[in-house]
Amino acid sequence: MAREFYDEMYDGSGNCRSHYREFARWLAATPAEQLARRRQEADLLFHRAGITFTLYGDEQGTERLIPFDTIPRSIPAREWKTIEQGCIQRVKALNMFLADLYHEQRILKAGIIPAEQVLANDQYQLAMQGLDLHRDLYAHIAGVDLVRDGDGTYYVLEDNLRTPSGVSYMLEDRKMMMRLFPELFAAQRIAPIDHYPSLLLATLKSASAVDDPCVVVLTPGHFNSAYFEHAFLAREMGVELVEGADLFVRDEQVFMRTTAGPRRVDVIYRRLDDAFLDPLAFNPDSMLGVPGLLSAYRAGRVVLANAIGTGVADDKSIYPYVPEMIRFYLDEAPILANVPTWQCRKPAELSHVLAHLPELVVKETQGSGGYGMLVGPTASRAEIEAFRERLKANPAAYIAQPTLSLSTCPTFVEQGVAPRHIDLRPFVLSGRETRLVPGGLTRVALREGSLVVNSSQGGGTKDTWVVED
Amino acid sequence: MKLAIRHDTTYRYDDQVRASIQYLRLTPQESQRQHVLDWHLELPRPVPAQRDPYGNILHVLSLDEPHDSLLISAHGQVEIDTTRDCEQDSLSPLPFLRFTRLTQADEALRQFARRYCGAHRDRAALSELMFGLADAMPYSPGSTRVDSTAAEAFAVGAGVCQDHSHAFLACARSLGVAARYVSGYLFSDDSAHLASHAWAEAWIDGAWYSFDVTNGLTRAERHLKLAVGLDYLDACPVRGMRRGGSGEQMHARVQVSQQRVQAQQ
Repeated sequence: MAREFYDEMYDGSGNCRSHYREFARWLAATPAEQLARRRQEADLLFHRAGITFTLYGDEQGTERLIPFDTIPRSIPAREWKTIEQGCIQRVKALNMFLADLYHEQRILKAGIIPAEQVLANDQYQLAMQGLDLHRDLYAHIAGVDLVRDGDGTYYVLEDNLRTPSGVSYMLEDRKMMMRLFPELFAAQRIAPIDHYPSLLLATLKSASAVDDPCVVVLTPGHFNSAYFEHAFLAREMGVELVEGADLFVRDEQVFMRTTAGPRRVDVIYRRLDDAFLDPLAFNPDSMLGVPGLLSAYRAGRVVLANAIGTGVADDKSIYPYVPEMIRFYLDEAPILANVPTWQCRKPAELSHVLAHLPELVVKETQGSGGYGMLVGPTASRAEIEAFRERLKANPAAYIAQPTLSLSTCPTFVEQGVAPRHIDLRPFVLSGRETRLVPGGLTRVALREGSLVVNSSQGGGTKDTWVVED
Repeated sequence: MKLAIRHDTTYRYDDQVRASIQYLRLTPQESQRQHVLDWHLELPRPVPAQRDPYGNILHVLSLDEPHDSLLISAHGQVEIDTTRDCEQDSLSPLPFLRFTRLTQADEALRQFARRYCGAHRDRAALSELMFGLADAMPYSPGSTRVDSTAAEAFAVGAGVCQDHSHAFLACARSLGVAARYVSGYLFSDDSAHLASHAWAEAWIDGAWYSFDVTNGLTRAERHLKLAVGLDYLDACPVRGMRRGGSGEQMHARVQVSQQRVQAQQ
């Protein structure tokens, strides 16, 4: 199957793109053994730093190192400007959508999104109805997943508004590159990203109306696949990392147990899903949450970042409406394009999807992490037929998209350097203003031809550069 | 009809409880069909009322002094408008279309719902469904647990009001009818049934209609409503957690009586 891929480093005639020229020169001048030695050093350092990742579905709970690739993904500064503006625009619209949805519901009344699709959605939280949040912000931290098609156009693949992860890899990958190859950073202007933790802390503080609020990071605990990141961010921000049992609620106020007695908590950067936050309000079996937390939250005595109920805006069944939201709330044309999407809940679109399964990517509307999806072009006939039955049994649970020919970036593999598919997740922080650090997390599908970049599915990461060219 | 209610719940713990927290939905609210004449909730310490996500009146009682017992007492008088058979609502019923773990409809419940309602989604069809469920799962205390799901209770073929309501909700939602769980009190001449009660409401033609599977009633004229929700967990009168205390004995005493209209002196 011949497909056109956009290569990040080389153009169609094999010439190095200008923003990669400095790197290519360095790569050609550096002996192969030296590169190999540095890569081994990187593996060792990452093990020592403890950046590991637990695989879901791995019953041993074995920790595994996420492969780090030393060839960076580079983005020219003027291209980044567009991505940045596009992400800001999108996240602003999504926050406005959430505020609208939990208050006046203007967008439903205007008939732009069918009311049933939103209100009957499991992710729509009645607990948020009519609740006023400081600055009307719901998704304080968002991850926008971007991919590039054959001609290099950026598309938003999905929005992550619940507990987007991966930012620790973005930061650690940069530290590693600067440590291994300082000469690269002296030779050109690569935009810094190390201020992310301070921006995150400022964002979290600005989410509260309290002066100098007490911020904590709430983790489900060390069995969670992203525990490393929770600990990392708490340390980098200089705030406490807590588990549910470290917090308690007294008279609608959240406190943290400390050796010096209870301490009031004003902002919780929670890396715990809605259903586990409060066993008295949601899942009663949750040992991870804080009994009474919802009552404190609804009384306006504590800020949760992100807010409860943001999942209704990043649900894949709502995704097709984001360009409309941008027009509706901001009266602007979307800067970043959506991937064309068929909604299987609509009978006409379902029959199109069923007739073209081998060409399409089919995803669960509520899935994430690359689980429960079909990549038509790489699936076996049996896999396609099995998926067809699941799709027919519950069409509303699926959407389908054309298989994008994700861009590639040269990557170290066993045979040397070869192109591998990548995506990009910039992290968007919404507080007093909406901001990003330049770049984001680049994930790379290490298996040849694979289009699934999730770390749970054998993906690795690369440092992401925004370069003045 | 004027009802007088007294509801005392006592928890006794084998050991000292270090801290506890309770979500209490023990206060009825004014509505088109019930008028609260007076109501008192007596707690170990005063607690402000708030609204929960479903609009119910919620008291959150947190105790962090060690205690070995807890007494919660609610009492008051409420006038029920027995002529009204439904209630309007300004909020969308659509959120009540979703299933929860306790109200998930399995194939058996879906088939059962289709058999009784076919293509009909009106009050008559849902009443048939209600009577059908009452026959299929006779009232039988002890046949299910507090965390039994609708499908489990239906498979057992027996249950209490909680199971009946869950099964009704699962069926109604499987038909695309928004439906919600109601907890409250029932006035009954038959003292065999507990006065704490649960029933269901379904959204038909723009209003909530009551369906009491356990008693085969499509009018809630003997029913005093405390709270609504997606299922038992959202609407139950007391939901709490504690640290320490090991075993507990819970004793609930509910009295619902009809007040005779006194002649003016």
